[in-house]
Amino acid sequence: MTHASPTPTKKYDLNFARWVYENVDGGDRMALCMQCGTCSGSCPVGQQMDYGPRKLFMMIRAGLKEEVLKSNTLWNCVSCYNCVVRCPRKVPVTYILHDLATVAVREGYAEAKESDNSRFAKAFWWSAAKYGRTDERLVTALYYFSFGMGEGYKRGMANMPIAMGMVKTKRMHLGMPHKCKNTGELKKILAKAAEIEARSHAGGAGNANPAGGTAGHDK
Amino acid sequence: MTDSTSRSRTIMVVGGGISGITAAVEAAEAGHDVVLIEKTPTLGGRVAQMNRYFPKLCHPTCGLEINYQRIKKSKRIKLFTMSTVEAVKGGSHGYTVTVKTAPRHVKPNCTACGDCGQAATSEVANPFNYNLDKVKAAYLPHTMAFPMRYVVDPSVVGTDEGRAIAAACKVGAVDLDEQEKSFDIEVGAIVWATGWRPYPAQNLTAYRWADLPNVVTNVEMERLASPDGPTKGRIVRPSDGAVPKRVALIQCAGSRDLNHLPYCSRICCLASMKHAAYVREQIADATVDVYYIDLRAHDKLESFIHRIQRDPQVRFIKSKPSRIEPGAGDNPMVCGENTLTRDIYAEPYDLVVLATGMQPSTAEGKMPSFDGDVDDYGFIFSDGEAISAGVASGPLDVSMSVQSATAAALKAIRAVTVAR
Ligand SMILES: Cc1cc2nc3c(=O)[nH]c(=O)nc-3n(C[C@H](O)[C@H](O)[C@H](O)COP(=O)(O)OP(=O)(O)OC[C@H]3O[C@@H](n4cnc5c(N)ncnc54)[C@H](O)[C@@H]3O)c2cc1C
Ligand code: SF4
Ligand code: SF4
Repeated sequence: MTHASPTPTKKYDLNFARWVYENVDGGDRMALCMQCGTCSGSCPVGQQMDYGPRKLFMMIRAGLKEEVLKSNTLWNCVSCYNCVVRCPRKVPVTYILHDLATVAVREGYAEAKESDNSRFAKAFWWSAAKYGRTDERLVTALYYFSFGMGEGYKRGMANMPIAMGMVKTKRMHLGMPHKCKNTGELKKILAKAAEIEARSHAGGAGNANPAGGTAGHDK
Repeated sequence: MTDSTSRSRTIMVVGGGISGITAAVEAAEAGHDVVLIEKTPTLGGRVAQMNRYFPKLCHPTCGLEINYQRIKKSKRIKLFTMSTVEAVKGGSHGYTVTVKTAPRHVKPNCTACGDCGQAATSEVANPFNYNLDKVKAAYLPHTMAFPMRYVVDPSVVGTDEGRAIAAACKVGAVDLDEQEKSFDIEVGAIVWATGWRPYPAQNLTAYRWADLPNVVTNVEMERLASPDGPTKGRIVRPSDGAVPKRVALIQCAGSRDLNHLPYCSRICCLASMKHAAYVREQIADATVDVYYIDLRAHDKLESFIHRIQRDPQVRFIKSKPSRIEPGAGDNPMVCGENTLTRDIYAEPYDLVVLATGMQPSTAEGKMPSFDGDVDDYGFIFSDGEAISAGVASGPLDVSMSVQSATAAALKAIRAVTVAR
């Protein structure tokens, strides 16, 4: 697979870091990180992360690819942008975490696929791509049932009072899902975006990874 | 040497801090006429506002007094205080400089007896103490002022208070009718020694200097520690005057930061070592925590950091704090990530000092046009026709400033003597 990021073989192998600098959204600026800790100190959910952004960036530099792509840090970022506005090197931390999450999915890391947030993101994306809108009922249902039938039913029932309340206050409706005006155009836009993305991810990794190696993507 | 043009041999120095004073004295003692222009009522610049200064932690009088004597002895230096440069015309054959002088309302025969100050009743802002306190409307800028002459604030002109101030002066030095003046001077070279201002702490919104009383800046700390400062040298909390037992020093507050000053201000690590020393000398049971990204001691001053590091009551925490929050009892809470232990901390302190950096004065207001270029941050390049000295040319400490001022004097002398 040409799109896979390189898997470092020795300690402090720079190949993974270089690949991230060149291929991940905002990675070029990550190269300027000076390890000051402002991002991790600013993060409202930092305590719920395996590693804060600063440490994650150091791990990338140390070539700890597996630990990085398996970490929940990529999924627990809530896009508050506190770190981005405060980072003295203008590192777009949020973009980097989100793009690393897509790298983890693309390379087939089970931790990435199974995390709560990636399940939710998937359900959200399904609705947004299909209707141009998110439908609360469908997104929640898809997300709940991604854990299996029994679990989905249990979670759904547990949240029924909230759903009823939302219907009552007109925050959720019961008919067909609302759509944006021209879903045909939306599909075209998304197809084009997918094409551009596929193009930008083919080849890049090959250049940055003379040694090859794709271990970790079957997990 | 024949000088084919009529280029003036007079050298103008703009800015009367340690750099401008040095350039002026050096050029004058080498036989050149010098016009020294200073914006405030006194020479000395930021050095006069220090409690003590490294490397030897001497009092600012050390360096300034000897230079004041040299200026007094020299017949070649003409000093204009409360003056700025309005316009510069000309080029390689010399310049016509328009100088604007604000009224001091006190004539040179002032004996600095202070009777006018006694007569004054209203108070005005005191920029010498970074507005930590106020002064009477008739005031001496500070105890080491040069010239040693009072200033009467324009706010009392035309008032009963103003007339009482004028009447109080036994030698008749108060002149309330003095007006702003503007005049042209022909000079052969200009040395820009306009120095710096502290980076505005209110821009660092996450550190809340503007609304938390016990968050101060390093320049304010110098005034708090100075015997002639607002607290007579007692380091206390601004909110309640209590002696602080837990003090935090935060490095790189606005420096090395692409959202503020992208460069390292170079002196603030050592300035904070000085502040740790001030606190520890004054308050035996105080602890000091220094939050830093890297500790940068330039030149041979590493030993100063080592000396402070040996003090068990000074802790060093590798972390750029992400924010400061209000805590109980007006204690600012410093929050962030310790990057060595990865611990997230929220530590309350009695007093927090922000090590704000140096921004060139030229970044503040527009400089009159001259044949010189400034870099992206407003520091003046010293090449071509432009001659800069001290912090006007880059973030320097006093000894480096003095060296650059001596070099600037030589360049200016060369410009006015070499035939072209
Ligand atoms: C907190 C702190 C502590 C420091 N402690 C030390 C220390 O212990 N030891 C050390 O070596 N260095 C120290 N420094 C650095 C030191 O302050 C500078 O090196 C020094 O002030 C440089 O002098 P200068 O003459 O270049 O500039 P300044 O001191 O800024 O003097 C510039 C002068 O020019 C005048 N001026 C400005 N604009 C104009 C204008 N347009 N027209 C006319 N006049 C103008 C100003 O009024 C001022 O008098 C410290 C800096 C900071 C921030
Ligand atoms: S705030 Fe920016 S420079 Fe500091 S550790 Fe985070 S990414 Fe690096
Ligand atoms: S001297 Fe120290 S505190 Fe000042 S900007 Fe440089 S590293 Fe930061």
